[in-house]
Amino acid sequence: MVFFFQILIDGIATGAIYALIAVGYSVTFTTMRVLNFGLGMWVMAGGMMTYTLFASWGLPILATAVVLAVVLGLMGIVAERLTVRPFVSAGSEGWVMATLAVGLLFVNIAELVWGRNSLRVPAFVGQDALRLGVFAIYPQHLLIIASSIGAFLALDYFYYRTLWGKAFRAVAHSPDTSRLMGINAGGIATASYALACVLAGFAGMLVAPITLADPQMGTVLGLKAFVIPIVAGLASPRGILLCGVAYGALEGLISGYLFSGIRDILAFSLMIAVLYWRPDGLFGTASAERA
Amino acid sequence: MTMLGTRLVMLTGGLGFLAVPLLFTGSFFKFLLILVFVYTIVSIGLNLLIGYAGQFSLGHAGLMAIGAYVSAIVSQSLATIPTLVLVGGNVWIGMVSGIIAAGIAGAALAFPVLRLKGPYLAMVTVAFGWVVWKILLTWTSVTGGDLGITAIPRPRVAGHIFNVTDYYYLSGVIAVVALLLQRNLVVSDFGRKIRAMKFNEAALASVGVDVHREKVVVFVISAMFAGCGGALFAHLQNFINPDNFQFVNSVFFLLTILFGGPGTLSGPVFGATLLTLVPELLHGAEQYRLLIFSVLILVTLFYLPHGIAGLLPTRRSQRAPGPGSGRGTRPREPTDAVPAALSIQQSASDVQSPIVRIRGVSKSFGGIVALNEVDLAIAPATVHALIGPNGAGKTTLVNIVSGLYRPDRGTIEILGIETRLSSLHDAARQGIARTFQTIKLFGSMTAREHVMVGCEMQSGAGMLDALLRTRRSRDEEQRRRAIADELLTLVGLREFAEAPADSLAYGHRRLLEVARALAARPRLLLLDEPAAGLVASEIEMLARVIDRLRASGLAVLLVEHHMDLVIAVSDTITVLEYGRVISRGDAETVRNDPVVVEAYLGTGGEHELSAVAS
Repeated sequence: MVFFFQILIDGIATGAIYALIAVGYSVTFTTMRVLNFGLGMWVMAGGMMTYTLFASWGLPILATAVVLAVVLGLMGIVAERLTVRPFVSAGSEGWVMATLAVGLLFVNIAELVWGRNSLRVPAFVGQDALRLGVFAIYPQHLLIIASSIGAFLALDYFYYRTLWGKAFRAVAHSPDTSRLMGINAGGIATASYALACVLAGFAGMLVAPITLADPQMGTVLGLKAFVIPIVAGLASPRGILLCGVAYGALEGLISGYLFSGIRDILAFSLMIAVLYWRPDGLFGTASAERA
Repeated sequence: MTMLGTRLVMLTGGLGFLAVPLLFTGSFFKFLLILVFVYTIVSIGLNLLIGYAGQFSLGHAGLMAIGAYVSAIVSQSLATIPTLVLVGGNVWIGMVSGIIAAGIAGAALAFPVLRLKGPYLAMVTVAFGWVVWKILLTWTSVTGGDLGITAIPRPRVAGHIFNVTDYYYLSGVIAVVALLLQRNLVVSDFGRKIRAMKFNEAALASVGVDVHREKVVVFVISAMFAGCGGALFAHLQNFINPDNFQFVNSVFFLLTILFGGPGTLSGPVFGATLLTLVPELLHGAEQYRLLIFSVLILVTLFYLPHGIAGLLPTRRSQRAPGPGSGRGTRPREPTDAVPAALSIQQSASDVQSPIVRIRGVSKSFGGIVALNEVDLAIAPATVHALIGPNGAGKTTLVNIVSGLYRPDRGTIEILGIETRLSSLHDAARQGIARTFQTIKLFGSMTAREHVMVGCEMQSGAGMLDALLRTRRSRDEEQRRRAIADELLTLVGLREFAEAPADSLAYGHRRLLEVARALAARPRLLLLDEPAAGLVASEIEMLARVIDRLRASGLAVLLVEHHMDLVIAVSDTITVLEYGRVISRGDAETVRNDPVVVEAYLGTGGEHELSAVAS
């Protein structure tokens, strides 16, 4: 039983990371029908920068987070303008390859800057496990869960309570109408892209102490996180949080009780099964095609 | 490029191909060229999928791995049969098994996944490639884990084991065969369908093509090319391991397509050749591999949207539209004769019972009732118009009768038999074809090709005929061409047969949709606002076409706002308002029905309906 809860907590923490990345896919998709196919590499960028800022330079973790947000946000703006906008306005799907190419570029640059070896990032809030009776919980796991939930609440507040958030939702609904209402739809598109990049960077920052930081760390994370919005439905942030956590827990249990090699294989088979059954995701609503 | 030029290029290429082993005695360059051939084969498969059919895959390294591993394992396990080994059978059986296994894996992946659209598909195929890689690493007892499989036998014929030169010729010949198969497929009826799929799936379904099925088929073909490349790769190398088949390899193949020229016959050759040879020449650039790749992707996307092949001069005759520029010229008068392409349908519709009868059909979207207990019967050789204010439910009704929506309640009968229309293509197969309110054409495909795609339901040649381009498939092509030209003549577009649809004038596009729908040999044709955006002369023309269709025995359901057209061509008019039938009868009855006048003008309207509506 102890083992069960132990791996459950681990799994939920991993799931929270997935959800954080997954919501990055969702944010850009809902506002401009675009996905950053290299998002995993932005997670990696967050992880590597955390190594430099926090582990090597000794910056406080909050300052690290701020620097990360600013740098990745600016890079996200540039990336959107250069590699997404031109294709979207031309009605081409070139952005699929372009966002992927930016991701590959990141990997190569990271290999040149930080090398190919895994780098250790210390936990932000103490290395030792908290003992609660028979349970031992790593504070980093709790921090991950708390920060992810915090990020989701902030996002929810932003979407439903602020004017900017409402503009985001309006653009998601109809970019053309929003433009007529005086909303800068292009600006919102850029902002949402940058927001996704920053969220991914935070995910990388949070996960680095657990997984170690290396140039390849984002590939699998980005891929797995993509399973979640597909299963949950791309337009449903709450569904994404729920599915992300459930998925992480399931994954933890599978690797805890079976063996970890089979974990990812099962996870992806599950995704394909769900897609077959509900092509719009569990929480998505089928959109009838208008002829 | 002229015919002579093409021949010259092929001749030089052929001689060069034969001469390489004589010029380069060392094995390095031959080895490199074998890799070019192998990658060309995989790229051709991917080109069919991405370049022609417009589907995505970033998992082809996984499919290639399946071909390689299955071929290696099968040929090794068959090596225990001495007689088979003596004639070399184990390797050949292994290679074929590898190709088949990749095809099966492709089908298993494609069937659930190809319901998804572009970007999602891309990501799921990434996941697939990654799962294959993971399985190769994990299933150590079979795949050898990260060490992979070693001592993979070379092929042999009788007692002779293939050396590098033999293997060079073998893979070169297979690559040429692959190119020929690609050519045959692309120009076939199947090729036309997959090209159309890239532009508009709904329009393709509306002529009776099961789009999902065609996607799966093209994916399986593509997977088999990848499997073939994998098998050749395995027996060339003598050893394979999971590192040969990573995500970056899938990106490489995608890049060969983008760079070479997607949707061109020669694109895979250019792409695979340049991207294999250039990095070899830039020795020591290994650590910049991803950087070079990503920059190449971006540069290609921005500056070479049609790839290297797009830089070649194209044959003018292929692109040049018909007489005039195709824009603005008035279509030639349609002929009055009922074309043979339609006449066969007549005999089936001799019965005077309605072709389609719907009873008590209701449909709501959320809380909004779009249709409420609607009855409608459409007899053969009649034109039934459906009118009503915006939002009355006209398009919903058309979408139900064409299988796009399923009614919440009510029944649909076709020729007196209650039927469930499960999709657009299902409806088309049951004799209901349609046009669309917003024109849905296949981009740059020619007018004739559009109508030929529409001939889907007329018995075609099989896939094998298409691949080998047999006599039968060529005869079939000829037949479809004739049908297409006849239908284009019917709608007055014969002289634009060679023009790309996107160069046609707006009105001509609408008429082209009609011709395409007719090619499906419907019993009932649904025209969803065919006159929208047409000028007066074009509407007249449309009216004449509709008259002619009625004369041929076809039933037509016409949704239209242009009252002049409705009154001119309709036998019966049904008026919908808020999803209910409020009036029905001939033009005179409906025009004078006070309920109708009220629906259009509000209470107290005293004007003639037609005065306002036209």
